[in-house]
Amino acid sequence: MRFPSREDRMFFYMLLPFAGVVFIVFVLLFEVLIQNSVPVLLREGLKFLTSSAWRPSEVSPDQEFYGILSPLVGTLYSSLIALILALPTSIALAIFINDYTPPQLRDHVTGLVDLMAGLPTVLYGLWGAFVLAPILKTYIMTPLSLYLGFVPVFGCRPITGFTVFTAGTVLSVMILPFMTSMIRESLASIPRTYREAVYSLGATRYEASRMLVSMTKPAVMAATLLGFGRAAGETIAVSMTIGNSFGLPLCMFEPSYTISSLIANQFANAGFYHYMTSALYAAGLFLLATGLLLNSAGVYMLVKWRRTYRR
Amino acid sequence: MRDVSSRREAERLSLVRRIKDKLFLVILVVLSMAAFLPLFHIVASILYYGGWTLLRGGLSFLVDTPPSPLSSNLGGIGPALVGSAVLVFLTVILGLPLSFMAAVFTVEYPNTLVARVTKLVCRSFTEIPTVLIGVLSYTLVVIPMGRFSALAGAVALAIVMVPYSYTYMEESLASIPRTYREAAYSLGLTRPRAVFSVFTRIARRGILTGVLIGLAKAAGETAPLLFTIGGLRHAYFNGPDHPVGAIPLLIYEFALTPYRVYREVAWGAALVLIAIYLVIFVVLRRTVREVRM
Amino acid sequence: MRKLLAMVIAALAILVFLFSFSFRNEGKKAAEVIIRGSGSTFLQPQLEAWIQGFLKDFKNVSIEYQGVGSGAGQEQFFKRLTDFCGSDPPLSRQTWERYRGKVLQLPIILGAVAVVYNVPELKDRCLKLDGRVLALIYLGRIEYWDDPMMRELNPGLDLPHRRITAVHRSDASGTTQIFTTFLHEAAPDLWPSDLVGKTVNWPVDGKGRGVGGKGNPGVVAALKSTEYSVGYVELEYAYREALPVAAIKNRDGNFVLPSVEAIQEAAKNALPDLPEDPSEDFSSELQAIVYAPGNGSYSITAFSHVFIRTTYSKEKTWVVREFIRWICERGSGYVVEGYVPVPEEIRNIDLRALDLVRSG
Repeated sequence: MRFPSREDRMFFYMLLPFAGVVFIVFVLLFEVLIQNSVPVLLREGLKFLTSSAWRPSEVSPDQEFYGILSPLVGTLYSSLIALILALPTSIALAIFINDYTPPQLRDHVTGLVDLMAGLPTVLYGLWGAFVLAPILKTYIMTPLSLYLGFVPVFGCRPITGFTVFTAGTVLSVMILPFMTSMIRESLASIPRTYREAVYSLGATRYEASRMLVSMTKPAVMAATLLGFGRAAGETIAVSMTIGNSFGLPLCMFEPSYTISSLIANQFANAGFYHYMTSALYAAGLFLLATGLLLNSAGVYMLVKWRRTYRR
Repeated sequence: MRDVSSRREAERLSLVRRIKDKLFLVILVVLSMAAFLPLFHIVASILYYGGWTLLRGGLSFLVDTPPSPLSSNLGGIGPALVGSAVLVFLTVILGLPLSFMAAVFTVEYPNTLVARVTKLVCRSFTEIPTVLIGVLSYTLVVIPMGRFSALAGAVALAIVMVPYSYTYMEESLASIPRTYREAAYSLGLTRPRAVFSVFTRIARRGILTGVLIGLAKAAGETAPLLFTIGGLRHAYFNGPDHPVGAIPLLIYEFALTPYRVYREVAWGAALVLIAIYLVIFVVLRRTVREVRM
Repeated sequence: MRKLLAMVIAALAILVFLFSFSFRNEGKKAAEVIIRGSGSTFLQPQLEAWIQGFLKDFKNVSIEYQGVGSGAGQEQFFKRLTDFCGSDPPLSRQTWERYRGKVLQLPIILGAVAVVYNVPELKDRCLKLDGRVLALIYLGRIEYWDDPMMRELNPGLDLPHRRITAVHRSDASGTTQIFTTFLHEAAPDLWPSDLVGKTVNWPVDGKGRGVGGKGNPGVVAALKSTEYSVGYVELEYAYREALPVAAIKNRDGNFVLPSVEAIQEAAKNALPDLPEDPSEDFSSELQAIVYAPGNGSYSITAFSHVFIRTTYSKEKTWVVREFIRWICERGSGYVVEGYVPVPEEIRNIDLRALDLVRSG
């Protein structure tokens, strides 16, 4: 590389280590996870992903077996519930802020959304565990299971308030502000002329909103992917509300595990056993890889979409 | 005749359209209210339950050590408060230069490989489950050091913080108009001087935002601390290379116990935490319009 | 630029100030000596009560204990992250052999697992159970409350023809280990040894009549909300939640409720099978105390332990010794409800440890 001056070159080499550290940390994260997950992956192979048995054994390491299918299902299930609840709400809120809120109020409303987005997750967990869970159990989960019990996903009585559904609800509250601001930004970035063109055709607000939202579809998709990634990676609030127990829940009123809550709950105790620590690192590696994949897909969509309007 | 029926048709249609429009508005308002309901409910619950705790404990709640599980005495969260302050400080010390220098690097030398990678990595780092960062710090700092420490926690928190503050700093540095840059160089300033005395000043809002976001993250995150700081209850502080407590961790641990007094303390601590967060947030909103966390 | 410099200097000053704490800590005189421990969550309330009592009597020392689980406690203890460890189970034989002569195991307190039930018809009348029937219930082979075997044990009770729901822990737990050890000891032909451990693949789950609960609170919640269920919890929770507790048939054939006397009697009767020296192998201790002989012994009883090292730095040696001595001599005055102090004979084992801890 060419530098215009000696000082410039020194500056470059002075800054390089800082930027390098960021990269190195990233590599180290992968290295640590991969290195530590090798034992269990070599031993169990694909069964690690496809088995739902989580069997520590004090007797001998040979009897240990770890499969993460059930936390995997729990992760997908709770994140899916979160998305189903959060997606329509965030689209509605984004439209509401953009088109229906008076400009002088808009700032305060987005402020509230941002406030929600940054609230420490342990507070969501505390509220979810002690305030929301009992409410959901009495007023939503029990009646649903009583009257709509023939539908498989409602097919069981909630025994405690800590279920996949509760965790999904808390997660939806947590990813909602994040998704709202993404969708709102993309709505706001549609050029004025488009909006005016739609109204000049005599469209009602409903019709206009429908068209605008359909124009931002890629951004909504991106928000969905990124929201899903966030929900799948959240640890504290989930582990406080999901009940932390193994099982392959079909009914959403059963407790379950997610990968991150599994790590949070079992990592400290894993040293008791021969392969459990390795299994948890491997679960983490898997979570990280999927998360990054979702994230890159989302970011890619967003960047591509932004290019269509910002020229 | 045909004319009349088509007009009627049109009126009927417009009625349908108007009803749809009204219905849409109703749904929109209901959903938007529903979106904000949890926020108010959370704040109200914390004020209510935490308020009782603080009323009972008074100011000494901020100073005392936590109670024993079955005591009727409320105790306090002193060690955790001290620990959180230390963690925030150490995190900013570690994370701020890192994110700032990295931001300067990517803006000043955007076409190098390292700059591109840094940008990419920081973007994906915001999506990495924070519990994994805790695991990383446990493996790389706690085990080699031989004990839990504030330092290990700060390393984890800094890794969580850097991508956020980096993004703000990078954006604000990159958005300095070309003319300003050229003006600085035409004064005969070298690049380091131009960056530190001119560009930094122009972009100070973004930089401040980055710092504040870092503060908020360091004060509020729990998962990176799970396996790193160890916790401290009967002593306040023994040095950065020793275990410390932290408010979020205390809430998490106490909330999951069956003891009533611990839950009361957890709610009280939640009130303190939300107060700290609100202060940071209000300052943030004053410096910058939109905050993305 | 000057502002920046001032900020950097201020930051450095604070950093130096913070680090000064750690030097003061390792320095020579007056400063506090801190002992750290971690481990069993079951032990935590009791240890916290002891620590607070101890700290009232001794100044300039501090003891920290974190309830992270027995497994984590052992790991941290052997990685030297902590100075002592609270553990429900004793060390396994392999671990003990690896650290032989370096670690002391002190049975410090007694706990018991209560079998609790929710059968509205029974109200306050006490159910009688034995190991065989419990094993058959958790195997899923006894399906109804009015099963002939149940009626034989409870001749006076009017048992309903209802399905039994068996509640168990869903997380890895010492409570499960104690309970399954009891099932195996009392009915070895029915309950095989590979169904003994901290987490178990409960056969009754396969029949759709098993329910898992996270932690003791989870089991209590499941039990309360499921009529005609039976479960097992730490005694403390049975007391606190005022759950009906079943009397369990012991080795001598008597039905016994978990009382302080019954639990201590089990410990005393286990004594002949225990090593006399805390540096020895305690790994078969659970088999000795669970289903112990003795007229009035309660069968589902277990010790909880504190592990200490044989060598510490000079200041720490003193604190560790004094803490153990204090627990043995004055600790019984600070026992939390639901725990049972170890009998005199066991305390003598613990006191023997004081001579084995040396500074170096």
